[in-house]
Amino acid sequence: MRKDKICAVIVFILLFFTFSYSEINLSGNIFTDNRFRLEDNTFSWNEIQLISKLNLDIGNGHIYSETEFKSIGFPNILNSTDLQDTESINPLMINIRETYIDFYKFVLKNLDIRVGKQRIAWGTADKLNPTDNLNPDDLEDIMDFGRKLGSNSVKLTYYLGDYSLVGVVIPIFKPAVLPSDEWASAFFSSLPVPEGLILQSYSDTVILPKRSFEESSMFAVKFSGNLFNYDLSLSYFNGRDDIPLINNVIITSVSPTAIDVNVEMIYPKMQVIGADMSGEIGKIGVWGEAACFIPEKVIMITTMNTYTETTVALDSKPYYKYVVGMDYTFKNGLYINGQYLHGFIHEREEDNLEDYIILGMEKKFFDDDLKIKIGLGSEIKDFNKIKDNSAIMILPEISYIPMDNGEINLGAYFINGEDNTNFGKVKKNDEIYIKFKYSF
Amino acid sequence: MERIKILFLMFVLLISGFAFADGNNSQSQEFTAQQILKNVDEVINAPKDQEITVEMILIDKKGDEKVRKVKIWQKGSDKRMVKFLSPADVKGLAFLNLPNDMMYLYLPAFRKIRRIASHVKNTNFAGTDFTYDDIASTNYSEIYDAKLLKSNDQSKEQLYELELAPKEGIKKEYSKLIMAVRKDNFYPVKIEFYSKEGKLVKVMENSKIEKEGKYWIAKQALMHDLDKEHKTKMIILEIKFDQNLGDELFSKRYLKRR
Repeated sequence: MRKDKICAVIVFILLFFTFSYSEINLSGNIFTDNRFRLEDNTFSWNEIQLISKLNLDIGNGHIYSETEFKSIGFPNILNSTDLQDTESINPLMINIRETYIDFYKFVLKNLDIRVGKQRIAWGTADKLNPTDNLNPDDLEDIMDFGRKLGSNSVKLTYYLGDYSLVGVVIPIFKPAVLPSDEWASAFFSSLPVPEGLILQSYSDTVILPKRSFEESSMFAVKFSGNLFNYDLSLSYFNGRDDIPLINNVIITSVSPTAIDVNVEMIYPKMQVIGADMSGEIGKIGVWGEAACFIPEKVIMITTMNTYTETTVALDSKPYYKYVVGMDYTFKNGLYINGQYLHGFIHEREEDNLEDYIILGMEKKFFDDDLKIKIGLGSEIKDFNKIKDNSAIMILPEISYIPMDNGEINLGAYFINGEDNTNFGKVKKNDEIYIKFKYSF
Repeated sequence: MERIKILFLMFVLLISGFAFADGNNSQSQEFTAQQILKNVDEVINAPKDQEITVEMILIDKKGDEKVRKVKIWQKGSDKRMVKFLSPADVKGLAFLNLPNDMMYLYLPAFRKIRRIASHVKNTNFAGTDFTYDDIASTNYSEIYDAKLLKSNDQSKEQLYELELAPKEGIKKEYSKLIMAVRKDNFYPVKIEFYSKEGKLVKVMENSKIEKEGKYWIAKQALMHDLDKEHKTKMIILEIKFDQNLGDELFSKRYLKRR
């Protein structure tokens, strides 16, 4: 009920502004996404969303706001009381994805400043960007990887010819949205339980950093320019990893064969020194992105009854993630895109970084109204024993544009691989989907 | 270059008999083909800068139409920025063309500016029949060697017909262009685009060529892709010249601005 009221208030405000200012521009889209899991013949995803985008020019500046009204999931009914609760039947979420003000030529002619909740996208690679650490990951829909949440921040950009210097301050740390349980196994290892014991209950506590400048605030700088016809940038980030790490485990014996486990998680501090480039070799588009992660050492304390063990949960030794990619369009219009990635979003420490090869092919037909795309993703844990240490994901999709602004997507996710791989752990989650989108 | 000069001399000698006999072709004697092409460049790139609002109508082989609205800023002959104003699904998409073949695309959905490599230059720009290369600003005489094919004084519009071939070392998607140029103002009225196999693949026709202030401008252009049987009609809705647009406008800073 409360959310409905908020929704009504926001719609009212938007309409008020629309009618009050002729310069205001309201646009957005309506989007539906339904997925069907092949393993158990059930619907696995049910989403409808309205995104409203508001643009307003204000003299030497600009206001932008993007709000998402989303109904996602299925009716959550456990008893008759739930049937009286609208939210249980019709789950609704309102999310202000971005709301910011741009001040152009702020104090200095070459200085722009953006204040508010914003997405700051760094990196030249496609969706997999090791240098893009400012905004928290939004892993709610794991198939839409690369999506991030906006952060309340201040961004200053100073331009000097072909060069620019960006400085960002994010006062309050915000954690990532993690994937649902059925996909989480691809990201997080299950808790190891000592042999002969059964896990009776599990609970965890997530410790967010104290809301002080020293603990919660993050900052970053980036210098970009062009050299020998290549776009280059260097960046530095000082903040926190947005995916939690276990630093405390309390195991309590409840019987000779059963234990309760309580886990405490924190968000480790880290620094990231990054570099990226894009350009072309011959007619082939090329890009590369590398990041050196310097984490703060995290000690894990495991307590079982009176016994306490101390281990290193995260070493402070720097590790490197990188992506190299290329794309090309053939004369017949076939577009191909390939990327090699070392270190996925959630992976930490050199020994845990996997290798991934991602390929995409795309061709348009019938005056671009029909598009066929095939994505291939492969994970390789060990190049010497590929057969037993790899997984593959195949993502075919057909997109049809029946009218201006409208798009229908029909596709599938097929996953197969060894159980010791990230993809392999979710190989039972093969799905087909249909999505509709209309922009206005 | 020497070879072209000889070819041109032979061509002039060949046609001169007809021209002088006719006694009606004074201008073809005054200009070489390359000079005519340079004049074309001077006419189409004459304004110091331009800001144009254009309606693009995409017409398929059944005659069904889709409409796009874009705004184009151009400074000199080598800096151009194009921004989509409508429809909603492409609104905000922006393209920047800079000297040295540097092209960038702003993708608002991803909040990212993407460098465009050469392989993209010959693909269609946002569903139109113009390639990225076509939509980029043009200085024909720097890219092509011209050969005068015809000097037509008989038709209603007196025209030069030029054959343009890419200069040595310059790689273009087309093996040649045939350009019809008005003699009175050097404005190109028609360009035929030939593939590397010598096949006519596209035709662009400029119409409603009018003088706006002190500059000539085609208020309508039609690009016809003969293979796809698809056309894109560009209609100029609004035009402003010589506003002293700064160089900073043609930068990544302004590309991502709404």
